[in-house]
Amino acid sequence: MAILTVEGISKNYGKINALKAVSFSVPKGCVYGILGPNGSGKTTLLSIIMNVLKATSGNYKLFDEIPTDDHRKKIGTLLETPNFYHYLSAVRNLKISAAIKGQGEGDIDEVLHTVDLYKRKDSPFSTFSLGMKQRLAIGAALLGNPDVLVFDEPTNGLDPVGIAEIRTLIKELSAKGKTIIMASHLLDEVEKVCTHVAILKQGTLLASGTVRDVFQENDIVQLASADKEKLRNTLVGLGNYMRLDEVGGILELSYQSGTADLEEINRYCFNNGVILSHLQLKKSNFESKFLELTN
Amino acid sequence: MDQLLKIEWLKIKNYTVFKLLSIFFAVGVVLINYAVFAFNKNVIGKSAGGAMLSSFSPYNFSNTWQSTSYATGYLLILPAMLIIILITNEYTFRTSRQNIIDGWSRGEFIKIKLILAFLIALISTALVILTATGFGLLSGSDFSLNKFSHVGFFFLKALTYNMFAVLIAVLIKKTGFAIGLYFIYMGAENFVSQMLDILSLKLKVETGTDLGSVGDYLPMNASDGLLAFPDNPLKSLAKGALPTDYFCIVLGCAVVYLFIFIWWSRKKYLSADL
Repeated sequence: MAILTVEGISKNYGKINALKAVSFSVPKGCVYGILGPNGSGKTTLLSIIMNVLKATSGNYKLFDEIPTDDHRKKIGTLLETPNFYHYLSAVRNLKISAAIKGQGEGDIDEVLHTVDLYKRKDSPFSTFSLGMKQRLAIGAALLGNPDVLVFDEPTNGLDPVGIAEIRTLIKELSAKGKTIIMASHLLDEVEKVCTHVAILKQGTLLASGTVRDVFQENDIVQLASADKEKLRNTLVGLGNYMRLDEVGGILELSYQSGTADLEEINRYCFNNGVILSHLQLKKSNFESKFLELTN
Repeated sequence: MDQLLKIEWLKIKNYTVFKLLSIFFAVGVVLINYAVFAFNKNVIGKSAGGAMLSSFSPYNFSNTWQSTSYATGYLLILPAMLIIILITNEYTFRTSRQNIIDGWSRGEFIKIKLILAFLIALISTALVILTATGFGLLSGSDFSLNKFSHVGFFFLKALTYNMFAVLIAVLIKKTGFAIGLYFIYMGAENFVSQMLDILSLKLKVETGTDLGSVGDYLPMNASDGLLAFPDNPLKSLAKGALPTDYFCIVLGCAVVYLFIFIWWSRKKYLSADL
């Protein structure tokens, strides 16, 4: 079963296309990262799914059904910022969240313990630090032990210990079989936590699928010669590679993982009158693959 | 609906502004009516021309229903302000988004705000009934429900003020701007209304065309126009020269404007990006 199916969603703000026909599907039980730089449309997409923004076109399904208000009650969501009544205490705010979700107040204390706010449960929200506000929002999302959680930049405003705790929490939730949809601009976060990923850039979906498929390792062969232009022209005829780039004055050939043959490349260049001064094989990492996708 | 009301009560019951404005309003209703009551008794009643007015007592039954409704009308800005604050808070705290994210429909969110505005109008009216009864009994007259219809007009006016507050809050979203605009609109409409009333009078005097007090056909002045201080003998003498009060037209306008406010508020919230 797909927890979420996004079908061609577009969102325009006047002439600005915040989302351009985005489609992907979130399978049950995964940790699905929506990755992209600031302004790429991640929050806009989640806001449409949560019915606080209206899509210009396209539609989506929750739990393979046409979305209803009851579907949202079964999803714990932290969207963009912690949204609470400033003058009310943590526990009173959680009572409101629980009541809207149609749940009892039985697990409020447990949730406050989970996000380490129990001692401050009677303090007004307005007195909380940014990190505490974020933790309360995560706590609110956990109310009622939902099977699906949506976290938009969940580690925003947290200190390193808080970040590590939230990532551990997400992994624990995932281990319990929960489906987690998480938007983040932090590659590192997605790499450490997610099983699936969708990459957005300026409203366009660049890639989606399992992290392994999207961030498949490539072989990268770095080459340099005294006459760079002659080397470049020679390499055009080499074939067999996926892409030719120049990085910091060095030419790079990208190959599918395990297919680059340095000996053959060296021989080909030599036979074509190019003497290489540098020839090295390296594996693409997560970051370079992300940059490759987004640039 | 019980659940919606319960949640709304959870939101406001511990809010200091809610408590303060409620107390100000409740105390204000008694004070403003006492001021009118005392002024009429001690100043007008003892003035040189007081003899002509001696038979007129605004807080005797049945005048008390009309006088209390009219005087309390000046304080309706307080509950309206409270409604603006409560709704714009939802935008400031972004809880208008969170309530939907947590599973309320947009319809439920705006419905409970409209119900809240209705209930505040109802409570304001109950306060008017209590105050009017109190001052009526203080005046030493026998209880009567004659002219009780003015309490109904007060309710309509309270409802109009409150629903207009909901509309302004939903449209403007920022507390300060919304309250500012509310006051500016009220002032501007009053000014235009008075200009229109003068034109109506001029039209009647010069051409004999009696369109009524045209100023009373404007959105807020329609419900205002239904409420007036009881006519004293002096005012009654002057009334013949004024344009006719077309009660049914003014009442119809007030009801239509009220429905427009409700319809517009709902439409805006149901269709907007939050």
